[in-house]
Amino acid sequence: MTALNGILKDRVLLIFLTSLVLTVFVPDLFGSYWAIVALNLMMWVSLTQSWTLFSGMTGYISLGHVVFYGIGAYVVASTFKVLPLWVSIPLGGVVAGVLALLVAIPVLRVRGPYFVILTFGLAELVKYIVLNVETSIGKSSRLLFGAPTIETLLYIMIGLAVIATLMTKLVSQSRFGRGLSAIRDDEITAETVGVPVVKYKITAFTLSAVIPGMVGGVIALKSTYFEVLQVFNPVISFTVVTMAIIGGSGDVRGPFMGAAFLLLLSELFWATIPQIYMILVGLFLIVFVVFAPNGIAAILWPARSRDSQ
Amino acid sequence: MDLLLSPQLLFSALVLGSTYALVALGLNLVYGTMRLLNIAHGDLIMVGAYAAFWFFTLSGLSPIIGLPLIALICAGLGLILYFAIFRHQLENVHPVERIEANSLLLFFAVSVIVQNVVALSFSGSPRAYRHLDEVYYLLGVSMTGNRIAALVVAVTLLSAVVLFLNRSHYGLSISALIQNKTAAKIVGINVSKIQILSFTIGFAIAGVAGALISMTEQISPFMGFPFTIVAFVVIILGGLGNIKGGIAAGLLLGFVEIYVVVLTSANFRSILIYGLFVGVLLLRPQGLFGKTRAS
Repeated sequence: MTALNGILKDRVLLIFLTSLVLTVFVPDLFGSYWAIVALNLMMWVSLTQSWTLFSGMTGYISLGHVVFYGIGAYVVASTFKVLPLWVSIPLGGVVAGVLALLVAIPVLRVRGPYFVILTFGLAELVKYIVLNVETSIGKSSRLLFGAPTIETLLYIMIGLAVIATLMTKLVSQSRFGRGLSAIRDDEITAETVGVPVVKYKITAFTLSAVIPGMVGGVIALKSTYFEVLQVFNPVISFTVVTMAIIGGSGDVRGPFMGAAFLLLLSELFWATIPQIYMILVGLFLIVFVVFAPNGIAAILWPARSRDSQ
Repeated sequence: MDLLLSPQLLFSALVLGSTYALVALGLNLVYGTMRLLNIAHGDLIMVGAYAAFWFFTLSGLSPIIGLPLIALICAGLGLILYFAIFRHQLENVHPVERIEANSLLLFFAVSVIVQNVVALSFSGSPRAYRHLDEVYYLLGVSMTGNRIAALVVAVTLLSAVVLFLNRSHYGLSISALIQNKTAAKIVGINVSKIQILSFTIGFAIAGVAGALISMTEQISPFMGFPFTIVAFVVIILGGLGNIKGGIAAGLLLGFVEIYVVVLTSANFRSILIYGLFVGVLLLRPQGLFGKTRAS
């Protein structure tokens, strides 16, 4: 509970969360185009925030974050009109969490570059298994008629972004979070001084899967159809990693800055020359990895992000 | 059973396997000597394929004759990237895990940039050209000229690289660096020079592989990614940094893929590739032929 008190006293965090919540007024003030932009922003904030919960803190870079998002979307799409949404969206989160828990034990034994490519390979494997299952039952894509309005989905997504931010903040300030940072700095030393390394890694990995599971479900409803190759697209994982690196994962505002920055670039260029947008993303990623590995957050708020490291 | 022993399948598997071995060889050199995870590897193959396409379309130059030129283009690209980005990483970033993680992100950026520069310059639509596509019959096997050429070039290049690594001074230095960087430094190997050499050779081989692939398959700016995956599957099967293991694993993957697709259906190709990938990483991360190596 001390962690919760800490959150209430943390003025920066409260201001940040309030501004996230204020996004609910976007549809009324700016119309439906910006409501979709806001929905996308909240989606990327949630995904990136949840990615930093595991990968940012432990230094185990996961390139397979999309698998949880895709599974969540699959749960919502395949139970659409069977289960009510207030059951199926959280169920997507639970299923994603269970999937993470199941694969965590073997996957987390693997370290370094092996871990990175393993997460990627695993996400692709799940994608092709789901694809084959869908093809064999004759559903190449599913239409979701009668999904909630964009406004409703935006409110849910804001909720998810707030929860994801709070979760990451709570974890980073707890004993658990310090254990995770110790793993990032030196796993063997962490184990030697008594950090329950395996338990912590599995818990963080599982926690980080729940939010993307729910986000995936909401996004399936937003696009009103479900197509396997789209919701399991590895580009989503890469975008999340890019946002986390550019924004910085040492500060809860980092993922927001990264998501906002890439969305801004995309608003400026995607509609006209998408290739220019991609080239710029690549260039910015190089610049940040080489010159500012702690991201925008560390440039804007240097002292704070050093504290929370 | 007849089907499985058919020389036609054997030939297909041999062509595919030797291409895979070549595709993975460049990646293995770059990872083995520098611990750089080049996920832009497939995009270099794409660059090689486009170079071959344009040489052939604009001047009628056969990709086979143009191979040195194509290799040179990719090697040049490698040199630029090495001096612009990666030299700084290799010299200033510690520990080695950090280099691996950074290199992955940097190469991802390079991959995105290369793909989109090519898409912007030559449009995203797939292209193809016809060259050496006359059919020959040999021992009851029908084969097109371009596949025979691809097989011959791949096998020649693979043997040449193995000979180079085992016999020449530079090759032995590269092998030493793969085995143990610190020890290589101690015995007087100029590490940064050898790293530049492996980097450019790795890129050049990727270009050659791309040129060979362009003779038989459609090319597009986004064709590279599946080859990156295949290359990673192969070098993990063979053991990261294990050059001969990688070549054996490339051939093996070619055979397994052809036979599994024939026995089941083409839908299972991706499940097979990723299943093998995940399975080997989980069960034998040191590779099928690998010894556990000191890091």
